[in-house]
Amino acid sequence: MTYVVNRLLSVILTLFLITLVTFAVTNILPGDVAMMIMGTQSNEAALEGLRQSLGLNDPLIVQYGRWIGGLLTGDLGNSLIFKKPIAELLVQKAVASAIIVVMSMTIALALAVPLGVWAAVHRDKWQDTVSSSASLMGVSLPDFFWGIVMILVFARWLVWFPSSGIVEPSEDFLGALRYAFLPSLALGLGLMAHLTRMTRSTMTGILGQEFICVARAKGLTERTVIWRYALGNAIGPVITIAGLQIGYLFGSIIVMESLFGYTGMGWLTYQALLNRDLPLIQATVVVIAAVVMITNLLVDLLYVLIDPRVKLG
Amino acid sequence: MKDIVSVDHLRVEFATDSGPVVGVEDVLFTIAPGETVCVVGESGSGKSVTSLSLMRLVEFGGGTIVAGALRFRREDGTELDVAAASPAVMGEVRGNEIGMIFQEPMTALNPVFTIERQLTDGLMLHKGLSQAQASARALELLKSVRVPEPERRLKQYPHELSGGMRQRVVIAMAMACEPKLLIADEPTTALDVTIQAEILALINRLKRENGMAVLFITHDMAVVAQMADRVVVMYRGKTVETGTVDQIFTAPKEDYTRALLAAVPKLGEMKGKPAPERMRLIGDESARAARVAPVARKPQVLLEVKNLTTRFPVKGGILRRTLAQVHAVEDVSFTLNVGETLALVGESGCGKSSCGRSILRLVKPTSGEVWIGGRDIGALSPYDLRKARADMQMVFQDPFASLNPYRRLKDQVAEPIVNFGLANGAALKARVEELFDRVHLPRAFLNRFPHELSGGQRQRVAIARALAVNPKLIVADEAVSALDVSVQAQVLNLMMELQEDLGLSYLFISHDMAVMERIAHQVGVMYLGRIVEIGSRAAVFDNPTHSYTKQLLSAVPIADPTKRRFADDLAFKPIKSPIFPLGHQPAPSVYTEVAPGHFVLKD
Repeated sequence: MTYVVNRLLSVILTLFLITLVTFAVTNILPGDVAMMIMGTQSNEAALEGLRQSLGLNDPLIVQYGRWIGGLLTGDLGNSLIFKKPIAELLVQKAVASAIIVVMSMTIALALAVPLGVWAAVHRDKWQDTVSSSASLMGVSLPDFFWGIVMILVFARWLVWFPSSGIVEPSEDFLGALRYAFLPSLALGLGLMAHLTRMTRSTMTGILGQEFICVARAKGLTERTVIWRYALGNAIGPVITIAGLQIGYLFGSIIVMESLFGYTGMGWLTYQALLNRDLPLIQATVVVIAAVVMITNLLVDLLYVLIDPRVKLG
Repeated sequence: MKDIVSVDHLRVEFATDSGPVVGVEDVLFTIAPGETVCVVGESGSGKSVTSLSLMRLVEFGGGTIVAGALRFRREDGTELDVAAASPAVMGEVRGNEIGMIFQEPMTALNPVFTIERQLTDGLMLHKGLSQAQASARALELLKSVRVPEPERRLKQYPHELSGGMRQRVVIAMAMACEPKLLIADEPTTALDVTIQAEILALINRLKRENGMAVLFITHDMAVVAQMADRVVVMYRGKTVETGTVDQIFTAPKEDYTRALLAAVPKLGEMKGKPAPERMRLIGDESARAARVAPVARKPQVLLEVKNLTTRFPVKGGILRRTLAQVHAVEDVSFTLNVGETLALVGESGCGKSSCGRSILRLVKPTSGEVWIGGRDIGALSPYDLRKARADMQMVFQDPFASLNPYRRLKDQVAEPIVNFGLANGAALKARVEELFDRVHLPRAFLNRFPHELSGGQRQRVAIARALAVNPKLIVADEAVSALDVSVQAQVLNLMMELQEDLGLSYLFISHDMAVMERIAHQVGVMYLGRIVEIGSRAAVFDNPTHSYTKQLLSAVPIADPTKRRFADDLAFKPIKSPIFPLGHQPAPSVYTEVAPGHFVLKD
């Protein structure tokens, strides 16, 4: 329990630092929020009036305090371009992106773990070469290339999945999954490479250990030895890498969602950056940081279930 | 009775990039029901390959049985050709009719499964038991291997058990299906001597009760003498000699067997001898001739340790505060004379290594004084301490890890000389060559890298490096423990020769009582951070007085089959934890002088 409290405290501290940095950077950026709202043609008196009412003339510390207060109460202000409350936008887009993140990670693990195990079991044989070439190809080609390939193969030629667009999961859950599938698959192929390599290297190490020999000496089948005895020990580091990749995913979805016209968090971030929607940028950065950190915390907690030697305390 | 195993001209090869390498060739022996056959040999002799071949596990390590026959008589009386058996048949035999235990109890159990799961999976597979039946049998098994609190152990994970306890669990696992043959591959090599005695006694009892045969693989002649009915001696992949244990020990036929036996020190053989003696090496007559003379000159103190205490913090909690302390070394005092050897003996965790490191100030002692050659090491400034390090050098246990793999040997030996600015240029080269001569390494090795040398040769390099700066004191921390017995004898003889010639003092840290009995002048027995008994070699070995010393000596296997000591169950007192809460003030060490110079800790 102390461990969890400990980790939560460190997450909170990090988030605080992130809000500081985000706030500082967005304030240093050139550009006037009032002018962005009213347009460059508006007169100076009206601009000044708006600045006054938005509190832009207050000292920075006061502005920061107001922003943090808003964050904590769920009031993130209004988006300048969408003219809607940011909180509402974020919730809707985050659900859409969560589908992609979960789906791409599931695809990546479902491909990487068997491939890595296969390579480790047949170490230094042709299977190993095939596996490492496959994963090397996955990582060396950029995500958007896979996106284009997916659109060509599955949307244009096979016409199994839509090439672009989004469906609200609350309206049609299966439809939402269908729309999310191609961008997820493209992202998953990119994620797979590291996970395959990690699986292969931890499995190779575990397979050389004495308890594997002991398990075989007990007469257990190779299937039990590899998939239960060895993988049970090898999966931990793979999960850790998967957790760290969640952060990397939030960068990748910006491109991928735009490519597939999938209006999720990535797309939202892109729009915010393009239009200098400062309040929206600030909010998305903080939310993404929080999600990444909480995922990694959950991964560490998951470790306790996987490995009994890890104690929280 | 028909043999249950017969191995006939076995040949195993391993595929490598540069063609097949022979693991064993021409191995032949048999095992009768209920018999213990010990396969003994030094590293690389192929003894493990032989045992793995019998289970056909060798193929998982890249080996192939290319010739010869391996026959195993199955429970139904049919004879199985192991080399040709299908994987399905081998699956039935492994764990069911042949059980196997391994060297390293720390890694032989799957860390992420409970003890119960690992004990029951074989039972459910081979005997078709239900989960409940298998669990009941697992509990029975833990009781039969005398694991305390068996119900609780079932639910625990391997890391929650001590090494000795884990080895009992591994044995229980191997015994689960009541195999007719138990293969034990170095089952006690990684264990402390008292735990080793317990495990050997346990194997003997299980063998007797179940009438099973045991194939016991070991490098340790003393264990062979204690365990074997018959002995198979292996050397470089071949069987050199087979015979009953008495034949092998009293009338070995082959030169190799004789040499191997000669190099083994027997505990108790030094009784009544006034001074250390070189190890016996056949073919090395100089060893016989140059007996270590008693120190004739007036004893002169080199090292004096007074009330040395070293504690390590145990940290935890949010702020990583110190929660408790490991009392690694607790109020230790002794002296070591010029040209003499003091052996610090004890089991793992007793603080002997920490003591050596504290003396050299590789770790900072909590309190106490260390005087070397009349100087208080603890009071020196960092600059003076660095200079004083020339007087005290260390030789480590693992010659593979203590040499830098990327540097030529001559540079590694030269390094301390350069460091202390003792020589350079031609003088440096000459000095390094002289050091190589000194440790009997050919000068051709000067330009080599560590991986090109054997373990014994590497340890010679480590010794040469320690000698480079003309030290007065050498701390040898298990310096010969990783070496094969004949190599160990050579390295020990070299160290004794250097002692005579250079007047070196050794602080020898070791767990091996039989070796220490041969080479030490003084012996200190450590337990829980304290010296419980210290005195001359004769005093401590011939008249052990402290209860722990007695326990320790009674657990040492003797390389003499007429002196068997592990027939019945043994249960030594487990070593207590050296971790104490903060602020714990242990009582000072108070000794009784039972004879002149022989001190025993008051309990």
